[in-house]
Amino acid sequence: MDITLFLQQFLNGLSIGSVYAIFAVGYTLVFSILGIINFAHGAVFTLGAYFTYFLSGGAVGTNGLLANLALPFQFSFAIALLLGSILSGLSAIAIERLAFRPLRLKGADPLLTLVSSLGAALVIVNVLQYLVGAEIYTFSEGIYGDLPASINLGTAERPIMIRTVQIIIFGVSAVMVGILTYGIGFTRMGKALQAVAEDATTASLLGIDPERFITLTFFVSGFLGGMAGALVGSSVSIASGPYFGIAYGLKGLGVIVLGGLGNIPGAIVGGMVIGLAEAFVPTDFSGYKDAIAFAILFVMLLVRPQGLLGRSRIQKV
Amino acid sequence: MQKLLEIQNLSVNYGAIQALQAIDLFINEGEIVTLIGANGAGKSTTLKAISRLVNPVGGRIFYQGQDVTRMAAHQVVRSGIAHSPEGRRVLTRQTVLTNLELGAYGRSDRLGIKADLEKQFLTFPRLGERRQQLAGTLSGGEQQMLAIARALMSRPKLLLLDEPSLGLAPQIVLEIFAVIRQLHQQGVTILLVEQNANLALQTANRVYILEAGQLTLTGNAAELLTDERVRQAYLG
Repeated sequence: MDITLFLQQFLNGLSIGSVYAIFAVGYTLVFSILGIINFAHGAVFTLGAYFTYFLSGGAVGTNGLLANLALPFQFSFAIALLLGSILSGLSAIAIERLAFRPLRLKGADPLLTLVSSLGAALVIVNVLQYLVGAEIYTFSEGIYGDLPASINLGTAERPIMIRTVQIIIFGVSAVMVGILTYGIGFTRMGKALQAVAEDATTASLLGIDPERFITLTFFVSGFLGGMAGALVGSSVSIASGPYFGIAYGLKGLGVIVLGGLGNIPGAIVGGMVIGLAEAFVPTDFSGYKDAIAFAILFVMLLVRPQGLLGRSRIQKV
Repeated sequence: MQKLLEIQNLSVNYGAIQALQAIDLFINEGEIVTLIGANGAGKSTTLKAISRLVNPVGGRIFYQGQDVTRMAAHQVVRSGIAHSPEGRRVLTRQTVLTNLELGAYGRSDRLGIKADLEKQFLTFPRLGERRQQLAGTLSGGEQQMLAIARALMSRPKLLLLDEPSLGLAPQIVLEIFAVIRQLHQQGVTILLVEQNANLALQTANRVYILEAGQLTLTGNAAELLTDERVRQAYLG
């Protein structure tokens, strides 16, 4: 492979991989604390994209109950992204209250919660479709202000073009990963969160309220998931409308399994691996990207069932 | 003497099983009280009911005259009751230091926490040496010391100790019981659950004996140590 083409694809892979990483970290956070896959995480990804689209001045399309409406105000992309992510975090808290907590307090089997989270995802997708229709939404061209659409990191003869949005995606994702790593690893609250994840009962004996940290975890998870959705949506449009998040939800699941369930560094590494692997799929086979990503996952799991960075699980008796 | 804790008529069920049936128990300020009995008699359940890890189906728990029967577990420790649980339950993926710091989670007096941390390292020098080590890599005895030290980090008035001797070498057990006596001398009130009845009776002021969820005998520890029934059933 030509070196410039290689670099080009490498940068593409880093960018998409970083967004997979923050999406997957949101996924794995909930798993680490509850031991349950939150199937509504993909729907929160979709919500984040819509929230940010509307907050940055986008209008509803010609279908749905809210057809042709737009917010009477609009924010710059940066503010819209931040607010959209916060709203996504709050949505995740609502999902927790409705689909997770009632079952948890009754001591229900985790499998039931898995199903109720899937139900929450379907409700969100259908309500969205009812409100704003099922069409593709594309963020407006000038969303990043005066920034050029793409820049050349190579030379005039051997260009390595990177879209500005890819740099934004990578930068925002890297900052999020940094904040999260610091917050969880080095603050008092982060350590308390880890304590709840390891043993919620013991954490409560230490004066930590596990329910508060479960709420916080869902907020952070939703914030990251929604932000990932908004970044991808602004980059390639909210393709397939309300169903936007489903394919990403599935891929995110692959990423966290690849990295090791409940393992945050694992989710980051897993996201980068899948992103890079996809970027190097030859153009002729690009339609099979997802299949190739999952084939990698499958082979890897045969070799290392606990995931790349996962601890081998010792079954409790 | 002032009653620090008083349990009235407490019952706990696990599904259809009655784990505790209407027990009455009190602890005076400054006492070591021990709860002994066979496996499954309800000793741990009593401690769990006090620290609110299980919900009683009946009865009341008063701490310093206040009804704490319906308090949340994380509030119980903030009110001054610390529980060193059965099986130690140290946070294996955290360092010794973090385990101790989290023991003081409900406190905000930084200087006081720091002083208490040093105090634990003085009481348990081995924890000081291993402060940066992951708790999961400690030996059983060290984990037990950590569990007790972590409970002390909340500066409790009442310390609940569940089976501190379980699975430990005799030498370590003696070390731990020496610490328990030392804590008692420093004024900590202790409710001690033990399988090793001999050691428990030698350490405690008063004793309650549980059989199948019911209190069958209570009294002065020194007297029960020579009681024929107790000797036959528990001291062998």
